[in-house]
Amino acid sequence: MISVTPKKLSEHRVKLDLNNLSPEQVALEIKNLDLYYGNKQALQNISMSIPKGQVTAFIGPSGCGKSTLLRCINRMNDLVDICKITGEINLNGDNIYDRHTDVAALRRKVGMVFQRPNPFPKSIYENVVYGLRITGVNNRRVLDEAVENALRSAALWNEVKDRLHESALGLSGGQQQRLVIARAIAIEPEVLLLDEPTSALDPISTLTIEELINDLKKQFTVVIVTHNMQQAARVSDQTAFMYMGDLIEYSDTNTLFTTPAKKKTEDYITGRYG
Amino acid sequence: MDNLNIGRHISGQFNEDLERTMNHVMHMGGLVEKQLADALTSVCDADEILAKKVLTNDYLINSAEVSIDDECTRIIAKRQPAAGDLRLVMAIVKTITDLERIGDEAGKIANVTLESLSGKHKDLLSNLDNLGRHVLTFLQATLDAFTRMDVEAAIKVHKNDDKIDREYEALMRQLMTYMMEDPRSIPQVMSVIWSARALERIGDRCQNICEYIIYFVKGKSVRHTTPEDFDSLS
Repeated sequence: MISVTPKKLSEHRVKLDLNNLSPEQVALEIKNLDLYYGNKQALQNISMSIPKGQVTAFIGPSGCGKSTLLRCINRMNDLVDICKITGEINLNGDNIYDRHTDVAALRRKVGMVFQRPNPFPKSIYENVVYGLRITGVNNRRVLDEAVENALRSAALWNEVKDRLHESALGLSGGQQQRLVIARAIAIEPEVLLLDEPTSALDPISTLTIEELINDLKKQFTVVIVTHNMQQAARVSDQTAFMYMGDLIEYSDTNTLFTTPAKKKTEDYITGRYG
Repeated sequence: MDNLNIGRHISGQFNEDLERTMNHVMHMGGLVEKQLADALTSVCDADEILAKKVLTNDYLINSAEVSIDDECTRIIAKRQPAAGDLRLVMAIVKTITDLERIGDEAGKIANVTLESLSGKHKDLLSNLDNLGRHVLTFLQATLDAFTRMDVEAAIKVHKNDDKIDREYEALMRQLMTYMMEDPRSIPQVMSVIWSARALERIGDRCQNICEYIIYFVKGKSVRHTTPEDFDSLS
C-alpha cells in the first residue's frame, strides 16, 4: 500500500524562490527602476526577477503603475516625451536601457498585445506575416508555415484556415485578439507582454484567451497586466501587486491569493477599503 | 471578534453575507453546547425525558449544518473569496462538520441514559460525569476562541486536549478493572465506555476547530503537526 503523507503531496508542487532564481531561470531582471512623468514619479525603485517560461501577472488599482511597468519592458515609454527612467531591465543579461540597444530588435524579442484588438486592415494572412515581412522574410513557403504555426499556437487556425485571405476586420472581437496574439508570436519573441488582453472581450472569449495563455507559456515568457484579479489567479504562476508606483508584494500566485504577506495586498484582493 | 475583520469590504452585501454566516455558526455552536450539556445532565440525573429531547433535537444541528453549507457555497459561487475571506469560508465549512459530529456524539451519550443502569452501577457514571464536565468546558473554550478568532486561546485549548486524553485513559483503566472484577457488569460498563469514547472524540473535534482558527488567522495549516510547531505561531 502506498502511503502518501500531506507533506509528501506538497513536495510535488514546484514553487520557485523568486529571490534566488538562477541566471538560467530568469527571463527579465528589473533592478531599481524609477520612472517619472515630468515631476511625478510613477514607479518607485522596482526590483524583481521574472522567471522564464512562466506567466507573471501585475495587478493593482488604476494608476498604480502596472501598465507603465509593462510598457517599460519593451521601451514603449520612450514614445512619451516627458518620461524619464533610471535603473535597469536586463533581458538575457543585457540592459535594455543601454544606449546601444536597438529598440526595433528589442521589440522583436519582446512582443506586446494591447487591451483592444488592433488588427491591421489587411487579410488574416497578411496580419500574421506582417512582422516577418518587415524583417525581410518573403519566401512563400516560410510565410505559409509561420502563419499556420502562429495561428495554431493562438488557437485560431481551425476557425480561420479556410478564409486566410479575407479581411481580419470581419473576425469577432475574441478572434481578433487571438489574431493579434498570433501576429505577436509569429516573429517568435522571447517575452510576450499582454496589457489587459481580455478587458474588451466577452466571458467565453476571455476563457479561450486564458486557455491560450496557459499554452503559450510552454514557448514564451508571458507577462500580463490585468484588472481582473480572478484572471490573475487563474492564469499566472507569479503575481506582483502594485500600489501607487510601489511593488508591494511579489510571490507565487497560490500564496498571494490565499495567504498574502502584506495587509495592503490582503485588502486589495479581498475588496476592502485601503 | 478580534481577528475576524469581516467588515470593510467595498461590497456591503458581502459584509452582510459573511456576518450572517458567522452568526449562524455561533448559533449552531450554542445548540451543540446545549445538546452536550443536556446529554450529560440526562446521564447524571437519569432523566430519560431530557435524553429523548437531546435525541429529538439533533435535527436542529443537522439542518443548521446543511443551511450554513449552502450559504458558504453561495458565497464561493458569487463572491470568489480570496485570502482571509477564503480561509474564513473554508474554516467555517470544516468547523460546522465537526460541530455536527459533536452533536452526534452528544446523542450517543444521551442514549446511555435510556439504557437502564441498575443502582449498583450508578457509581460508574460519576467518573463519566467528571470527564463530561471537562469536555463541556473544553467545548465552551473552543467556541469562545472561534467567536473571537483568538489564536492564543485556540493554542491553549488545543494543548489542553492532552488532559482530556489522560482522564479518558484513567477512566478506561477503571472500567476495565470493573469488568474484570464483575464480568456480569460488562454490558452496562460497555455503554459507559461508548460514552467515554464519545467524550474523548468531542475533545479531538474541538482540537480540529482550534486548528481551523489557527489556519484562518495565521494562514498556516497545523494539522498533523507536533506541539512544538505551535510554538512558532503565537
